[in-house]
Amino acid sequence: MKPSSILSSLNPATEPDSLASHERAEIDASTRGPVLLFFGSAVFWLLAGSLLGLLSAWKMTHPGLLDSMAWLTFGRIRPAHVNIVTYGWAFSAGIGTGLWLMARLCRVPLMHSRLLVSAAVFWNLGVLVGVLGILAGDSRSIEWLELPGYATPVLFIAYAFIGVWAVIMFRYRKPGHVYVSQWYLLAAFLWFPWLYATANILLVWQPVQGSAQGAVNWWFARNLLGLWFTPIGLASAYYMIPKVLGRPIHSYYLSILGFWSLAIFYSWNGMHHLIGGPFPAWMISASVVASIMMFIPVVAVAINHHMTMRGHFDALKWSPTLRFTVFGAIAYTVVSLQGIAMAIPSLNTLTHFTDYTIGHAHLGLYGFFSMMMFGAVYYIVPRLVGWEWPSATMIRWHFWLVATGILLMAGSLTFGGILQGLALYDPTVSFQSSLDYAIPFRWLRGISGFFLLAGHVVFATLFILMILKVGRRREGPALFAAPDDDTSATV
Amino acid sequence: MTAGSLLIVGGIVFLSGSALLAFCWAVRDGQLRRLKEAPRTIFDDDEPVGVPTDRFPSRK
Repeated sequence: MKPSSILSSLNPATEPDSLASHERAEIDASTRGPVLLFFGSAVFWLLAGSLLGLLSAWKMTHPGLLDSMAWLTFGRIRPAHVNIVTYGWAFSAGIGTGLWLMARLCRVPLMHSRLLVSAAVFWNLGVLVGVLGILAGDSRSIEWLELPGYATPVLFIAYAFIGVWAVIMFRYRKPGHVYVSQWYLLAAFLWFPWLYATANILLVWQPVQGSAQGAVNWWFARNLLGLWFTPIGLASAYYMIPKVLGRPIHSYYLSILGFWSLAIFYSWNGMHHLIGGPFPAWMISASVVASIMMFIPVVAVAINHHMTMRGHFDALKWSPTLRFTVFGAIAYTVVSLQGIAMAIPSLNTLTHFTDYTIGHAHLGLYGFFSMMMFGAVYYIVPRLVGWEWPSATMIRWHFWLVATGILLMAGSLTFGGILQGLALYDPTVSFQSSLDYAIPFRWLRGISGFFLLAGHVVFATLFILMILKVGRRREGPALFAAPDDDTSATV
Repeated sequence: MTAGSLLIVGGIVFLSGSALLAFCWAVRDGQLRRLKEAPRTIFDDDEPVGVPTDRFPSRK
């Protein structure tokens, strides 16, 4: 390989004196096509998904809104929203980040990029066909698995390509230590195709009978969050926080403990969604115990990230990546501790069947995962296109709009949900009144949707400007400039 | 229910089991030794410890 040839075509201004810089630039350049394809489709789905989410939020306060057309009714656009933001936005952004991190951590240029490009095409096709199917009325009514049976094999094929690619990359990595992020990535890349295929076989092609469907459903949904979104998000945090600060992770021992305890015990968690349901008591109890054990990986990650950041929180002023990533890391700790609490049966009876759960889900998938992905995109894209983000002001607007939006959404749904749950518990309160308690909070949630959509429009604009290379060429292959110049004062 | 429970428990055992196997490989391969140096593997001569690698774009 000739690192210098690719590097010089990427950025002629680079001084060719550092082998490490050559290597890194070549690896980054090799990931450009597939990663930008996944990021680009993610941005498109993010906009589509936020529009549908906003519309379904306002239907909670205005049930008659746009209900004359069947495809715009709540029962279709709400699952369409969930599946677009999950499989369209979050998966695509996560895969893009995962591919880039995998190449960097294996320390070899990305191989078989055509395999990944076809995976991206299949993946988007699967999401598109599936979402159109949901809007046409073919939703399967299984939470997180609403995509109709004719779309899921396409998604499976796409993901299987990525799984195979991950094995090949890992096999051809440069010898040396396997960094903690890479363990998380391997877990996510290798388990998901298996998880997805099993859930689809047991629920669609050869459905199990009766309440066992619920068990399969929640085993899948819990693992989707815990063995896909969590590992990808944490892999990004474990790379971005030390790398941006230039400070190794506080305790590597804790990070290893956190990974292995998550990997070995997480898959027992799913049944805590079925507390009080018609299931053998031992299944639920085992799951509640495993859920409480999640305290170990969660606290390990929280301590580690906090201690790495300690004394360096001013970095949030000068690094867009860290600002989003640290927000995501804090949300991870909060949402995980909240989730552990919700698995305790006595608390679960209060929060179950209320808006509290919806708030929890958004804090997890948005406050934690999506914020991590924004942070990763801000770090990765300039290194792929060799260009600086065109506007610091727009990045700040993006951050403050989405941070306000998600805090308002999670806060209003959480408090509204608690009131709703207390009212449901009280035999003197009618069911109708228990819903009335939630109405003002649902208004606030609807308003939060405008903040999020506006933030996403800013983000999408920035992304498009970057692809079109509006703005200035970057000054070097790794660094923009010293962090202590004129822009550091503005928040 | 019995068949469903078996499948789910089988799934859980497969996931946890594959993690255990991977863990055993990691121990045999020496991945859990020298944990003091390990976190430094993401740094190199060009982007060493102590040098931040991200910032807001400048306005100049």
